[in-house]
Amino acid sequence: MRLFALFSLATVVALALETTLPRWLPLGPLMPDLVLVLAIDLGLRHQQATAALMAFGMGYAADSFSGAHLGIEAFVLTLAFLIAYALSRYLISSSAAIGVLVVVIGEFMIGVGQYAASSGWNSAGGFVAMLPAIGWRALTSALVAPSIFAVMEGAARMIGLRQHAVRE
Amino acid sequence: MARTLRGSFLWRNRVLLTGGAMLLLAINIFFTGNRPGARAEKPSFGLLWALRPFQNSAAEFASDSHGFFHDYLDLVNVRQQNDELKREVAELEAEHTRLVELEVENRHLANLLELREALAMSAVAARVIGVDPVSISHTLIISGGGDSGLRRDDAVISTDGVVGKLIAVGPDSSRVLLIDDHNSGLDAFDQRSRARGIVSGELDAGMKMKYVDRTEDVRPGDAIVTSGMDGNFPGGLLIGTIAQVSQEGPGLFLNVTVRPAVDFRELEQVLVLTQKPAPAAGPS
Repeated sequence: MRLFALFSLATVVALALETTLPRWLPLGPLMPDLVLVLAIDLGLRHQQATAALMAFGMGYAADSFSGAHLGIEAFVLTLAFLIAYALSRYLISSSAAIGVLVVVIGEFMIGVGQYAASSGWNSAGGFVAMLPAIGWRALTSALVAPSIFAVMEGAARMIGLRQHAVRE
Repeated sequence: MARTLRGSFLWRNRVLLTGGAMLLLAINIFFTGNRPGARAEKPSFGLLWALRPFQNSAAEFASDSHGFFHDYLDLVNVRQQNDELKREVAELEAEHTRLVELEVENRHLANLLELREALAMSAVAARVIGVDPVSISHTLIISGGGDSGLRRDDAVISTDGVVGKLIAVGPDSSRVLLIDDHNSGLDAFDQRSRARGIVSGELDAGMKMKYVDRTEDVRPGDAIVTSGMDGNFPGGLLIGTIAQVSQEGPGLFLNVTVRPAVDFRELEQVLVLTQKPAPAAGPS
């Protein structure tokens, strides 16, 4: 319950920032994908079945505010959660470096999903045109990810949440 | 019993299996949730509603800080502007008399225009309260929703021109798909030559008018307006102007780049047309 409350609150704050901050500052593709980072944090440190449900829920929430197709972020965030979960299990680590790697992979997966959903993958040229925007967003998301992981870890500790991490 | 369950394959792989089930659910939502009135779409309206207070406050804050910034700039330039203003006051007084005459003329013209456009359309004003967090897709969140009579596919315009159409309508907030999004497509024609095409967004943040025959006479600077053939937008609304026309290779169509009339980043107020326009006859 505490896990659900913590990540629900974090998702609301992240979505509020992501949808309003670009109106104050012309960030464009430099706006980091905070919800993706949160989903990956779930995969690294909260390895439970309910966390998988929450990653899906966070993706669905992000879908409600972004793009023209429902389901893309829900799919990618669940997949990013599973990749983070699998990597941290098999590398026996929940370090931020794994999270940063999955953030970059996840950002490119969202780009591919958006492109495939809208164009049906008509030409690779269209995707190439999107690459700079995806790359910048992946970079800024990767840069802020360690700080978000640290904040979430501190918040989890503060509310007495047991972290179901791997066999470290 | 509990020990048997904990040792089972299902229990050991519960995270992966739950994640897998969620992936299948996401795929299902992707294929079924994007139809108008789909059940999978409904929870997203609740989310739009839940986040609205945050977005409203942020929009107000952004508006206030914008005003503060402008006030500061005004202060910096105030001395220089004072001299200019004195000179301008004299000019404006002379111009005022001429404008009164023009206003009378304008009122007459407006009345004539209203008479000609007998199809009066009901519309709802709304405020922009949020933007799309993903920069490659271009949508906006506005303050009006189903409670104000808005419906999916309603046309959204501003004083400068066409903005987009509603793709999701919550109780008191909605999402607008902008005309420069790569998923958008709008039947349009060149106001001067009547050349017809489809205006849609590009992935690299531009706007093109597609399927314009290479024999058509389209030139940079031409105004592109809605044709009224898509059933959502009335005909004759300004979409933008042609920025560039080129012809690549032996293709059938011209490559027409369109500059939108609306600056979507500066947009604060929009008008949602809640009434569908009468079917248009197309350009002639």
